[in-house]
Amino acid sequence: MTGWILDPFRMRQRTGWTPARVTIAQLIALAAPVAVSLAERGAAQIAVLLTAALTCLIWELAFDLIRGRSLSLHTATVALIFAILVPAAVPAWQIVVAVSLGVVFGELVFGGRGYGIVSGAAAAVGFLVFSFTGTELAASSEIMALATLPGLVLLLGGGLVSWRNLVSVTVVLLIAGLVQNGSSGLLSVAVTAVFGVVFMIGDPVAGASTNPGRWVFGALAGVLIVLFDTAAGPAVAPAAVVFASLLASLFAPLVDHMAVALIVRRRRARHG
Amino acid sequence: MLIVLSGLKIDHTRLPEQRVEEGVAVTQVALIGADLPGLRPKLLCEQGERVTRGQAVFHDRANPDVVFVSPVSGVVDSITLGPRRSLSALVIRSEPDQPEPDPTAIAMTSAKEVRETLLAMGFWPAFLTRPYGRIPAPDAVPEAIFVTVTPDNPHAPDPRVVLEGQRDAFAAGLKAIALLTSGKVHVCQTPGADIAAGCGDRIRGAFFPDAPSSGLSGTHIHRLHPVDKDRSVWSIGYQDVAAIGKLVETGVHDFSRIVALAGPRAVQPRLLRTVAGANLQELIREETLPGSHGSPLCIVSGSVASGRQASWLGRYHQQITLLDDAAPQGRDSKRGLMTFFQRHSSQPAPLIPTAALEQALAFDVPVVPFLRALSVGDAEIADRLGCLEMVEEDVAALSLTCTSGADYGRMLRQVLDELAEDA
Repeated sequence: MTGWILDPFRMRQRTGWTPARVTIAQLIALAAPVAVSLAERGAAQIAVLLTAALTCLIWELAFDLIRGRSLSLHTATVALIFAILVPAAVPAWQIVVAVSLGVVFGELVFGGRGYGIVSGAAAAVGFLVFSFTGTELAASSEIMALATLPGLVLLLGGGLVSWRNLVSVTVVLLIAGLVQNGSSGLLSVAVTAVFGVVFMIGDPVAGASTNPGRWVFGALAGVLIVLFDTAAGPAVAPAAVVFASLLASLFAPLVDHMAVALIVRRRRARHG
Repeated sequence: MLIVLSGLKIDHTRLPEQRVEEGVAVTQVALIGADLPGLRPKLLCEQGERVTRGQAVFHDRANPDVVFVSPVSGVVDSITLGPRRSLSALVIRSEPDQPEPDPTAIAMTSAKEVRETLLAMGFWPAFLTRPYGRIPAPDAVPEAIFVTVTPDNPHAPDPRVVLEGQRDAFAAGLKAIALLTSGKVHVCQTPGADIAAGCGDRIRGAFFPDAPSSGLSGTHIHRLHPVDKDRSVWSIGYQDVAAIGKLVETGVHDFSRIVALAGPRAVQPRLLRTVAGANLQELIREETLPGSHGSPLCIVSGSVASGRQASWLGRYHQQITLLDDAAPQGRDSKRGLMTFFQRHSSQPAPLIPTAALEQALAFDVPVVPFLRALSVGDAEIADRLGCLEMVEEDVAALSLTCTSGADYGRMLRQVLDELAEDA
């Protein structure tokens, strides 16, 4: 569809989110976790970060040139999330392969940011874990969890993650943690899960897009995290969050479909 | 943060002073095709012909009874047709020294008389149907009539100020249009004294608190009488009701309009009395501030959210907004890599679901699936989700809030036209 954009004068009245501003907000939200990962893992982490970022940039450039669009930097957020989740010991060629598969098949083939069906970062990390067995993802430390919080506040304040989604996934995780390990393990659950929940399950594009659907989507993601969790003790394995995000995203359209059917039925009842 | 959340630019320019002044007399007025989507005119006058105020100048080809009349006495200056034999503009040059048409005694005591009079006198186009937002068929009967006595944004005229001194005419107008329906006439207003009090059982005041979009008739209809393809209501603006009342009481055609002058380029934001279809260039000649950095003036008929850049005052508009136009950009201003970063796109950007979208629509509708249906022109899904309750102005805030920059109003009109053809 072409020629459907706003008049120039109304275009100038917009001050809200544009795709570029969303990307910038996400990059700012990711700044503290990236800094923590650099401090914790040292020089090897810089190599991971650069490899992932460069791979993303090349693919983004290629697709934008083919499609004749202006350059979007959204895949940079994919690179950052990826770099935070994978350990520094992963060989560079594995990073290139996994990130390429992730951004191309998670996002770019669908038309880029906003059109995909799964979170690009989750797809990239998922490819890495599946393709190269034995890869253990980096576990989140307390400092990393703390560093996620300012970003969480920023994204929540800007409406870039759905609070319904986050509340329902948190409730499910806490209940499961309480049942399995008692109240002593709850902090550990929160610390290990918060980064993945905010940046992968909270992705507004990959998640459900109706308000009732967001509650269900969050609960579904929470249940999947509990099912996939292989780590001993109360801690949540990072891979569990990744695969829960991927699988829940695939169910998001179905969840939305049912939510829409429900809303339409409610409308019919109201109209009489 | 608040600005980011709402997604709408907060207008810091002065609110118009709610005091009515006479606007400069304009020499040209026009009937604009942009106000009449999908209408094909059959012209009843020729270029250069002398017309009097209230004389029919064209009628709807599909419904010959729906006539459009000249708001002033004068000479037909030009007639331009648009694509597919639609009207682009019919311009009339007014001649102030022409004799005023004599008042005609009008009996409006039965539904049939009211209908015939409003049709013949050119007041029928004041009504808009919901669903579809079109001028009703001459024989249609609405389930209810909604009189919109609410400002749709803080810069619009305050209806209570505009109606001061016209309360009797307004009440007479309400009683006349109440004959057109067997249902209720909802007089939707801001909180305060009921301006429809004592007009009869079927004429009810409804109060809407001051909130974004609570001034739109779509919101009123959604709350009080939701419509679908089998249930139709009409809406009408309060100034048209007062004009109908004046017609009933005195037999005089009154096409004057009180509009708010607003925006950063207005010298003195206030209310002006002018005429429907007035030439905006003439009207605001003495009213504009020079632009900062010499930027040209952008005249908007209507509000920033739902108006249009225009040289004529729209039939349904009650506001003129004067803005800075973008400074013309030289072709050399962006070069090399920058052209790649900021390529001008004719396609909407992607839609990223944000919390602000949920607040920008005042309807019980799942916003993101609805916008996706509009973006792909899926009339069936849009209908299922409730697009028949909306017209362009209801989704104007969504267009400004969404990341895509798509004009959802135009997309909605496309879908509504498709549904209207099937109905």
